[in-house]
Amino acid sequence: MNVVTRGIRNAFRNVVRTVSIVVILGLSIGLSLSMLVAHQAVGQKIASVQKSIGNTVNVSPAGLRGFDGGGNALTASQLAGVAKIDHVSSVNKMLMDRLDSDTTNLKTALEIGNLGKHFAEHSGFAERRVSLGADGPQETTNFTPPITVVGTTTPADVSGTPGGGTFSLQSGKAFDSASSENVALVGSALATKNNLKVGSTFTAYNTTITVVGIFDAGNSFSNNQVIMPLTVVQKLTSQPDAISSATITVDSVNNIDAVTAAVKKALGSAADVTNSAEQAKQTIQPLQNIQAISLYSLVGAVAAGAVIILLAMVMIVRERRREIGVLKAIGASNGKIVGQFMTEAITLTGMSAVLGIGLGVLAANPITKLLVSNSNGQNAPGTGHMGGTTAVRVIDGPLGGLHHSFSNIHAVVGWSIIAYGFAAAMVIALAGSALASFFIAKIRPAEVMRTE
Amino acid sequence: MLQVADIKRTFQSGDTTVHAVDGISFEVPSGQFASIVGKSGSGKSTLLSLLGALDKPSSGTITVDGDDITKLHDRALIKYRCGKIGFVFQNYNLVPNLTALENVMLPMEFGGTSKKVRMERAKLLLEQVGLTADQMARKPGKLSGGQQQRVSIARALANHPKLILADEPTGNLDTQTGKLIFDLLHELARSEKTTILVVTHDLSIAGKTDRTFQLQDGMLAEH
Repeated sequence: MNVVTRGIRNAFRNVVRTVSIVVILGLSIGLSLSMLVAHQAVGQKIASVQKSIGNTVNVSPAGLRGFDGGGNALTASQLAGVAKIDHVSSVNKMLMDRLDSDTTNLKTALEIGNLGKHFAEHSGFAERRVSLGADGPQETTNFTPPITVVGTTTPADVSGTPGGGTFSLQSGKAFDSASSENVALVGSALATKNNLKVGSTFTAYNTTITVVGIFDAGNSFSNNQVIMPLTVVQKLTSQPDAISSATITVDSVNNIDAVTAAVKKALGSAADVTNSAEQAKQTIQPLQNIQAISLYSLVGAVAAGAVIILLAMVMIVRERRREIGVLKAIGASNGKIVGQFMTEAITLTGMSAVLGIGLGVLAANPITKLLVSNSNGQNAPGTGHMGGTTAVRVIDGPLGGLHHSFSNIHAVVGWSIIAYGFAAAMVIALAGSALASFFIAKIRPAEVMRTE
Repeated sequence: MLQVADIKRTFQSGDTTVHAVDGISFEVPSGQFASIVGKSGSGKSTLLSLLGALDKPSSGTITVDGDDITKLHDRALIKYRCGKIGFVFQNYNLVPNLTALENVMLPMEFGGTSKKVRMERAKLLLEQVGLTADQMARKPGKLSGGQQQRVSIARALANHPKLILADEPTGNLDTQTGKLIFDLLHELARSEKTTILVVTHDLSIAGKTDRTFQLQDGMLAEH
């Protein structure tokens, strides 16, 4: 029998009390662990979001967004100055146009649907026609969804196009960024609809265009697009030097605000300048809220655990004042008595840690998902209205898919987390027994004699 | 040899100074069995606390086996209590979740005795005070008052102390058991050559010791 053995045995002196302390402290440690895991998982997601989308600045002519609004096109010379701004890694310039039955022989892969019909009619693009058929009057429209042409200097990037998405080349190869040849990358849906393959040709702007690749962007709208060299689109649409949008890549997310300010200053009122960090900031705000909640909860749960063991140990020490006095009277030093009580605290906390880690492993993922889903429910993004079919489509713009990836956050309880759990438990035990140790040191054997 | 020279212990109670022990001097040679009698509040427990180095006197000296314990610092006091003093309390004060054997081994553990030696000595002492092997393995709650006091005496003897201080050792026992415990202490004082100082209010017991002191209002007088 020694200090450690006595400390461990003392932890089981009162079974009801021991079980109560272990259960309460276990819940506290389990909650701490769940919050730590949630905090880490959400932190990793925020970091990955910031890493993936946080370093671009979007520039469009003032008053223009996609094909809506108006304004004067930007020019290459205006953007040449932007490329020289510090921390700008690259500038992706685009000119977008629409092909219809008058300007191409391609047939659109998009169905108009009732939504497309509604927008077309209300925007003046279509006429309603009523004809008398065999089954009575039939309403038709002359409008078909146009095909978007994207002139670009970075053919393998569709993130800045109206449909967005992630570019994946299915066949062929991308054209050179400075190409002036009449070549095109065709979206997979459009290629299928028009039986196009690599090497096929089609007509646009009365010019024969050769298909050099078929791509998939992951959504119906972008897969109905044609991507061509910027200079070719400028020439074919008779808009020399015109730029309808640009995506500026910044070397680090930390410099994005400075670059945004510099671009705004350089382009003045000619352009609307937004950056993805601002959009990302708004988008990841719910995650940051969860991270803050989980951090506060973590601190609260650890503090609660420390207070629980602290009060329990103070209560135990007060209850055993006479025994401590006797131990001192028969030759025990403060160190040995404190060691015995600390062992008792560590034993109680160790058992609680085992229970708490078990609870944490089971609860961490559901709690994280619950926090994220509640947050998403309160901050759901608005739905877009592009395309015309009745089926639901998810538009993966630069930020469009983030909310979906939020719900895919998976909290993993690894060995490092378990080690943290035990370490936290030990810190709780030591912190909790510190005050008890102080009381032990203050107890004088003579005082105990007097109270007898 | 226990030598006490003019020790005083005063406490402040509000504006009043209480003289719990007021200039006491006496000597008890080694191996002698002495008793101090006095009424409740006469300062008996305070005197015992001072002799056992559980408290420090306001003035005066206490010499045990040549060492003035009033001048010892805290570490040395712990060593003194562990090696030279044995306590026997009225309420036995055994550790409730340790067996009788473990209770007797406890002071030897604090004194740094090896496990094997302390086990053997604890068994020997418990046999000497009359406990069976079965009783040695019991916790205090499963022992009678007399048996618990025997364990307490064995514990007091564990580290071969020079001085055993007993505070009303028969106070919680019936007359017959009290007499047995008193005889046991007397016998051990002789066999272990230990000085024993018993504080009691039982004059019939005090009368059987080698020397008897009367404590009244903090002052001591020998009978």
